[in-house]
Amino acid sequence: MRSVSMPPTACTGLEPGFRGVICASFGAAGDIAKQDTGGRPRHDLHFASATPNTLSDLRTVLGASHVGVRLVLAGPQADIRAAAAVAAECGLLEEEVTLLSDEAGPRVVYCPHCLTTTIDRAAGSEVECQGCATVLAITDHFSRRKGAYLGYSAHAEEAS
Amino acid sequence: MTMTALKTRAHPAVEGGLQLEVTNVSLQTESIISITLADPSGERLPSYVPGSHLVVQYGSGVNAYSLTESGSAPSEYTISVLRVEDGAGGSVAMHRLSVGDRVYVSRPRSAFAPVSTATHHLLVAAGIGITPVLSHARAAAERGIAASLIYVYRPGAGAHVADTRELLGPGLIECTDRGSFQKVLTEHLTTQALGTHLYVCGPAAFMDAVLDQARELGWSPARLHSEAFGAAPLDEGEPFTVNLVRSGVRLEVPAGVSLLETLEKAGRSIPNMCRKGICGECSLSVVRGAPQHRDLYLTDQEKAANTTMMCCVSRSEDPELELDL
Repeated sequence: MRSVSMPPTACTGLEPGFRGVICASFGAAGDIAKQDTGGRPRHDLHFASATPNTLSDLRTVLGASHVGVRLVLAGPQADIRAAAAVAAECGLLEEEVTLLSDEAGPRVVYCPHCLTTTIDRAAGSEVECQGCATVLAITDHFSRRKGAYLGYSAHAEEAS
Repeated sequence: MTMTALKTRAHPAVEGGLQLEVTNVSLQTESIISITLADPSGERLPSYVPGSHLVVQYGSGVNAYSLTESGSAPSEYTISVLRVEDGAGGSVAMHRLSVGDRVYVSRPRSAFAPVSTATHHLLVAAGIGITPVLSHARAAAERGIAASLIYVYRPGAGAHVADTRELLGPGLIECTDRGSFQKVLTEHLTTQALGTHLYVCGPAAFMDAVLDQARELGWSPARLHSEAFGAAPLDEGEPFTVNLVRSGVRLEVPAGVSLLETLEKAGRSIPNMCRKGICGECSLSVVRGAPQHRDLYLTDQEKAANTTMMCCVSRSEDPELELDL
């Protein structure tokens, strides 16, 4: 049981054992305020973007909350997908998480050659991996665990 | 008794199963015995998923009993059986077994498996419902996963109480009256960390009450798991006709006889396992007509679609059903 000596959640203002709706928004996402929580207690969080630090805050909040809680994530795809992956790791189920994504926005692409992720802002079909400089073709294959699209070495099979 | 049992043909539900020998019978309580079964030649038995059950033949009938061990590399199977005087006769027959008797059993069947991503198992059992939950508790202990158990039983009538105390220590909460159970349940349902899944087994009304309260407290259905061992016996139902459209055969299904039995008598072999509307194995496609759904497998949405039915228990709302057979 983790309920005994949780690290303080004072930074986020959440009381331990919270079972209402946590609404977390990233960047300039505004429409989360209108999200209907069906009369359940609501706790708002706002982050500029999904970074190791902000995701760690989210982890702390989820670690202090209890079964029954729901999570609403709003903002750019890349941010809310990273947050959703953290939620899954913390034990939240897919049906307990609602994603409100900004339609356009950068995508995260996973490189299977060097195992790093790269943010694709150009919305093209290829991106250069920031880890190993391989030009990656971006597929539709999306990993919820990594919050990223699978890339692969583009043009690898073409005779040069 | 079993000598005659073995002379009878293996029941369809245990076909392709195992023939085991009773190696131990021990008294758990006044009305519950534990029966240990092993391969007569000492072979190791198939492993099973925690929470699995075994279908055991008695005379011409079969009954399902939960296996109470963790299921990894077993050399024997253990079931615990509550004697039900006014039942169909299965439990009474089980209570007559003695060491050396042989029985037909199915291979273990899993319909109440633990969720592999859970970080905590909250187990809730009432009465003889302890059996599959004990299997869960043992498996959790072996695998180092946290588990707690709320066990409700009448004073002096609880099976495996010593086992659960040893396994769970402070993780076991024993309740011998309804009031204290209600308080303990509410407290547990509102204080679980997010990786927790709930597993409940007991009489149907008990399970319904636990599951209803969990849902009210915000537990999503995917966190809730139940073992419907105590399914109330179904009524005989009305007779109806089935039209097997692909083979052009019409069959009458009399009251008191299942569609599955009718199809088997007509020489059709339909894959099936539990024959109680739980496992989903005997699913058939319905071309026309509204099935009277009596299974516990299909979701409400799937039942409303009227395109699939479990032929072991479900019947027909209409005088005639057309099946894709």
